[in-house]
Amino acid sequence: MIACLLIPGFELRAALRARPRLALVPAALSPEPGEEPVLGPVTAAAEAAGVKPGMRLGEALATCPSLVLVERDPAAVEREWEGVLRRLEDTGFAVDPVEQGAVIFETRGVERLYGGVQPALERALAAVGSAWDPRIGAASRRFTALAAASVARPGQILLVAPKEEESFLEPLPLSLLPMNPGRYAELEGLGLRSLGELSQLPGGAVAERLGVEGRDAWRLARGGRRTRVRGRRPAAELAEALVFPEAIANELTLRRALGSLLERLLARPERAGRPFRKLALAARLVDGGSWRRVATLRDATAEIGRLRAALGSKLQELPAPIVELRLEAVELAEHAGQQLALVEPAGEEAVVRLREGLRQVRASTGTGSVCAVVEVAPWSRIPEARALVVPKDV
Amino acid sequence: MSSPALGRLNAPRPALVETGPGATPRIVNREGVTLVREEWRVVDRWWTDEPVDRHYFEVVLESGRNVCVYRDAEARCWFTQNA
Repeated sequence: MIACLLIPGFELRAALRARPRLALVPAALSPEPGEEPVLGPVTAAAEAAGVKPGMRLGEALATCPSLVLVERDPAAVEREWEGVLRRLEDTGFAVDPVEQGAVIFETRGVERLYGGVQPALERALAAVGSAWDPRIGAASRRFTALAAASVARPGQILLVAPKEEESFLEPLPLSLLPMNPGRYAELEGLGLRSLGELSQLPGGAVAERLGVEGRDAWRLARGGRRTRVRGRRPAAELAEALVFPEAIANELTLRRALGSLLERLLARPERAGRPFRKLALAARLVDGGSWRRVATLRDATAEIGRLRAALGSKLQELPAPIVELRLEAVELAEHAGQQLALVEPAGEEAVVRLREGLRQVRASTGTGSVCAVVEVAPWSRIPEARALVVPKDV
Repeated sequence: MSSPALGRLNAPRPALVETGPGATPRIVNREGVTLVREEWRVVDRWWTDEPVDRHYFEVVLESGRNVCVYRDAEARCWFTQNA
């Protein structure tokens, strides 16, 4: 069977791990900086006070003046979600993440191991942990499993037999379908309220009226396609970080730190010569918050100049001085081949020789013997705070 | 992920200093001071758990070497460092 494990409001729950008391009071995830001022997920206490996810900030504060706004913490969310996925993988499930808080997996591979579908799903819930309030829906199709998880209670496993899928989906609301918000109003204006009402319409007519989006929604309302779940390939932990003794915001210092991180990441033996396809730049802010940006490269590359150009501009988006900068390899290309240049850039041969010489020194004197000086705060009045000595892998 | 062991560049080193009139260095690591070139004070991070209160002296020793020493008011001892 295909199972969907759902953790509603995952972003808020992850941000509250550091402040568990706020889970009991009216609290909501603050709006994304620079985006429309609407709330993210809210706590149960906030919902009881009349605050709903997606509500405008002003309206929410007027409704509940004691509402606490929880600052977004993307690094913590990413870390906690990766932890959830790894615990499921350690239990034997090949997971296919849908989004943070929702993951699909098949039970076929582990049913014999755990003695059936129900025991296997109970192991999955246990692996995630009850603190997250996970719930599972299982069916023969992805969308039905997702819909079942959406209506399940915390800690519940809702199994939908293949013969019962159509009747199960019938009364469910249209909000389960992945559509633009305006579409829901359009469908309600046509008198449609449930998946069953939509599925009973002729598919051609729906496609003609609502386009490709409507046609896809119609197919899902009828259960969707039968597809196999392809588990993700968990990325090796390939990341480097620099912790600064003082908070820094100077662009030159940040770029130098990024250069140092890139050199270290390129030198990691786990990379096995494979170029990067996607990288993530994360930082811990001076006020304790976090920041994260992902850069997907048009062409997978391991050329440091191109990587600097792709990531350097992200540093300008930092909202505050930082105390830690972290670079993660999110995705590597499969090939290890390298397109050689007809004419090498000037100075490249000297760089290659220098690198080889440093490798020889490191081989004879040991790890950590070759270091680089990274200027952190050259203007500091405290001399030992101006620069750091960082072991340099070559 | 590996977070490298970051070392401080130009870390202070304990120094043996004898002072003369006005609390200025007279002997540094058993070597006499011939000239005090400059003197300054650094007070910083007083709002943190690790405040910095240092009285720096740039001196010339008998051997002709130019060194910097400072008296750390928090630790109440002398250190030498490249300023």
